[in-house]
Amino acid sequence: MTVKKQLKILLMLLKMKLSRNMAFRLSFFGAFFVDGSLFLIQIILFHAIYSQTGSIGEWNRPQMLLFIGTFSLLNAVNMVLYFFGVITIPEKIKSGQMDLYITKPLNTLFHLSFENIDIGSAPLVPASLGIIWYAISEMDIPVTAGRLLGYIFLVLLMQILYYDMEVILRTLPFFFIQTASIERLEGELLGLCMKIPGTLFKGAFKALFYLILPYGIMATVPAQFFAGVLTPLGFVYSIVVVVAFTVFALSFFRFGLKNYKSASS
Amino acid sequence: MKKYLETVKVLFKSQLAYRFDILMNIVFSITKILLAYVLWSAIYSSSEEIAGFTFNGMMSYYIISTFISQMNKSTSTGWQISAEIRQGLFSKYMVRPMSIFGYFSAHTAGVALFYISFNLAAAVLWTLLFGVNIALAAGFQNILLTVILVLLGLLFMMQLNYFIGILSFKFLDTGIFMMIKDNILEFVAGSFIPLALLSEKVIIVMKFFPFYYVSYLPTLLLMGRNGHEALQGVAVLTVWNLFFAVLNAITWKRLKVKYEGVGI
Repeated sequence: MTVKKQLKILLMLLKMKLSRNMAFRLSFFGAFFVDGSLFLIQIILFHAIYSQTGSIGEWNRPQMLLFIGTFSLLNAVNMVLYFFGVITIPEKIKSGQMDLYITKPLNTLFHLSFENIDIGSAPLVPASLGIIWYAISEMDIPVTAGRLLGYIFLVLLMQILYYDMEVILRTLPFFFIQTASIERLEGELLGLCMKIPGTLFKGAFKALFYLILPYGIMATVPAQFFAGVLTPLGFVYSIVVVVAFTVFALSFFRFGLKNYKSASS
Repeated sequence: MKKYLETVKVLFKSQLAYRFDILMNIVFSITKILLAYVLWSAIYSSSEEIAGFTFNGMMSYYIISTFISQMNKSTSTGWQISAEIRQGLFSKYMVRPMSIFGYFSAHTAGVALFYISFNLAAAVLWTLLFGVNIALAAGFQNILLTVILVLLGLLFMMQLNYFIGILSFKFLDTGIFMMIKDNILEFVAGSFIPLALLSEKVIIVMKFFPFYYVSYLPTLLLMGRNGHEALQGVAVLTVWNLFFAVLNAITWKRLKVKYEGVGI
């Protein structure tokens, strides 16, 4: 499928979503208010902590702000583009609605992921960029093109990783009917890694959040790169993790589709 | 009163059907303690004491406050009320010969009572796992005042969640209100950091609101601190409970007429 055709379909899905949203006008900016309040409170809380101490591990105040801003940006793009689409996958498997998606002449995962684009979450993106801009202005380092491009590259990579993780966990219902606890686990662990940089974890928890469920590297690696503390090995490691998880996510979803037994799944 | 006690009993027993949920509830309570452990380990590597807390005191604070805040099971009741109004399934409560608020309070109490022993087991487990020497230093008076504050706090949270739930008569979907409330609650109730870390002016303002007394003050009382604030807490929570009792009665009377019982 060509990029032009995909963009056309994306636009059509967006129009359909907007017309559906008109039925729940109060909810239109819901995700913006919910996630906006979450990150705003996180900033206030860390401001309170930094009033008592100069650094948390090796993270000073502007670096922590950059970490929060980066996670907020990743979350914002996630909410706008694919979150509300991907989260519907388990229900569609259970109810048999997946039949409708399989039979359409369109990539199933692409359709499922982008059919619920949420424009109401879009204000989170400039708000996150504002936090990032403020954090950078507080840092005592030169903003070079290389530093900026490297940061953007890593943010894009981590956005893909965010998507991979969501898809992998939502593919499990092809094999297990009850996966509510797995989704709750995702919420809890994501909430944990959203609050503290991955470098603060030690031992088994570091292995868990860097390798098995790599939520720990998502905002940490781009923020570390911008602050100039990411090692070359760390840079390569994050690329390898994203490639590995992307290949696995796409293969796992295809394998799940092969195991799909319509309404009896 | 008997019918409400029966509701408590039924809900208590029915929880046995959700054994996997019980296990998950215990497992997931670790995330808050783990967050505190990782965050404060890094901070205390360069400081001995912060806002009057040693590292052991700080970990004790998180374990006790997590135990107290987990007693509050009214959030899911608020979601349930909202969902049943939206789906048109709320009619069954309207025809029952008992107060709807009373029924949902008994429902929540049944679930909360069932979980208390498991939450206590989880608290003991995390205490041993993280090697915390729990800093309990409360006398009989403080324990009594803690019990009173916790009960008043749970009643207040029930009233707040019930209020947001019945707003569904007007707004259909109150999920946004619930989630924003949860985010704010994490801050103002001292779940993420002890409120002692905030500036004195902010704390003075917070003392006029009920959230300061729901889990933060009871935790400090059990740690043998802030005993002089307990009676003030009882008074503030009582006033807020009365305010919400009136607000809920008015809201119920005004909004129930909008209910069509068909759902969307």
